[in-house]
Amino acid sequence: MSSHPSFALEIARLHFRYPDRGAGKQGFELQLPSLTLRRGEELLLVGRSGCGKSTLLQLIAGLIDPTSGTVQIGAQDMHALKGAARDRFRGRSIGMVFQTFNLLQGFSALENVLAALLMSDLVSAESCARAETLLRSLGIERLDARVEELSVGQQQRVAVARALACQPTLVLADEPTASLDPENALNAVRVLRDACREQGAALLVVSHDPSLAQHFERRQILEALTVGASVGEGARA
Amino acid sequence: MSDLTIVLRSLQTRAFSSIVVVLLVAVSAGLMLSILSLRSAGERAFERGTGNAHLLVSRDGSPLVSVLNGLFYANAPKAPIDATKLAELRASFPWAMFVPTAIGDSYRGFPVVATDAGFFSSFEPVLGEPWRIAEGRVFDKNFELVLGSAVARETGLRLGAKLTLTHGSGKSREDGGDGSAEHAHEHREYEFTVVGIVAPTGSPHDRALFGTLESSWILHAHDRFEREGASRTVTPADLTDGDRVVTGALLRLPSREASSAPPALVSQYDRLRRDGSITVAIPSNEVARLFGIVKSIDVLFLAMAGATLLSSGVAILLSMINSMSERRRQVAILRVLGASQGRIFWLVLTESTIVGLVGALFGVAICLLVLFVATQWLLGAHGIVIAPEPDARSAVLVAMGTTLLAALAGVVPAVLAYRTSVARGLRPIG
Repeated sequence: MSSHPSFALEIARLHFRYPDRGAGKQGFELQLPSLTLRRGEELLLVGRSGCGKSTLLQLIAGLIDPTSGTVQIGAQDMHALKGAARDRFRGRSIGMVFQTFNLLQGFSALENVLAALLMSDLVSAESCARAETLLRSLGIERLDARVEELSVGQQQRVAVARALACQPTLVLADEPTASLDPENALNAVRVLRDACREQGAALLVVSHDPSLAQHFERRQILEALTVGASVGEGARA
Repeated sequence: MSDLTIVLRSLQTRAFSSIVVVLLVAVSAGLMLSILSLRSAGERAFERGTGNAHLLVSRDGSPLVSVLNGLFYANAPKAPIDATKLAELRASFPWAMFVPTAIGDSYRGFPVVATDAGFFSSFEPVLGEPWRIAEGRVFDKNFELVLGSAVARETGLRLGAKLTLTHGSGKSREDGGDGSAEHAHEHREYEFTVVGIVAPTGSPHDRALFGTLESSWILHAHDRFEREGASRTVTPADLTDGDRVVTGALLRLPSREASSAPPALVSQYDRLRRDGSITVAIPSNEVARLFGIVKSIDVLFLAMAGATLLSSGVAILLSMINSMSERRRQVAILRVLGASQGRIFWLVLTESTIVGLVGALFGVAICLLVLFVATQWLLGAHGIVIAPEPDARSAVLVAMGTTLLAALAGVVPAVLAYRTSVARGLRPIG
């Protein structure tokens, strides 16, 4: 399969199946014939709990391998890469934002962002300066404050800054508003979208919250994209 | 920001357990190093303390006791050698050195060695290192004293100072003595003058005072007159052969080189040993024998320290495994950010290695403290002079061993971190 140069994400004939759990209990299965996302584009994937949203993000991020099919990030087939090369490619090309932010506890706001640069081997004076600028542009002034000392809203912005630190092609957001109240949720989505737009990164948000739909021009229901997705025992979130 | 920052932050987030484990490692390493250093310093100190005497003659119970009393001033020898026997010994061989000593008096707990001029001209307190006079001169008259360097430092006595001596050790039971203080008494009738201070030798002689034999005999003759009910000021003319006793003699055979044992040593040693009225010792052999005895206890202590060190390695392992649930999330985040499994492995291994290294460094500090306390105690209680320095080779070996052990203890947690499932580590994520 040849990738289109303007695509940030191109999924083709993706099939994933968790092993059967025995005793007649069927394993979870996900089939996605096609999904594309252009550079700088935003997409909201909505789906009920257990329909495989997080599994899809893990497949895109190369954290788990599909049974078959391909996931192209830019021009690179993620699953053609192995081991450290895939890890480094993930760090450089994909930013991730989580429901609980998953910031490194005990680290400062700036260190959380620098950790992303460090793990992707992109630490330089220039990238460090950019990390500081990024945090400030997101309204974080106390760069040396430990993340536990920051408000929930500030932590969310640090998580966004970390996701964008390596100037990724694609940002994946997994239920980014699930732990926020409606006002903060609205704000978080705005921050995330603005930041990605400013950095030119494509944004794929997965959520079970239908109220987010009004903020995204392109939105899809995951179940409608998948073929014969089955949810039984062992269903994934 | 570097990988080291990640490791240090990780330790910081588990500050309490990190500190406890570091302290445990430090105490274990410090204990091990202290034992090794004390053994090595003790050996050096005892080897130095034997000086250049080939033989030591006394009437102590055994050659080892003879050396401990006669050269290390552990206790005052109880049985004297009379003048006739001493003259017989002196005439029995063309000795290169024959220095009689009488030990039994003291000044503020420091032993006083009554001897002759040969003690400073022929005897070397440390083999190959003759006496050096730091201030004044050696005694040449009765009631003159030369101070060892530690005595001068600790008593503050200077040249010209006047003092009186105590017959006996002068230590009360409270001072850690054997209680003989009850029988000790001060010879206020005879005033001594400090005429010299010797330079430090790093041997037990630093903790002694030195005077003439005749002065010592006069003090004891005074006691004799008192016992006979004729108390009076004694002069050399009043001395009898019964007063002219010594407690030992330092002997050296003629030899071409200062350090070599002459061929006649064994034969002379055997000849003197056949005399049942005296005890004869080869000081260097007795010190070696002493360390042979101590060695088995030493091995036991070392085994205990080794076991403690091993248990500190287990503590590192347990502490890191206990923190795995917390660490799993951190590992998963780092993996998402681009860290490879190999890098995660090394980060965890570096963390345990740092715990070992810091523990080892604190261990060296603990060792310095232990050595300081131990050397002060040995000096004060037994007059044994030991340099309070950790043995450099042992320090390097213990530090390396501790660090290696800590690194090994980190292998299991590192493998667990390596195999951490990113998806599980990040839960809940959706």
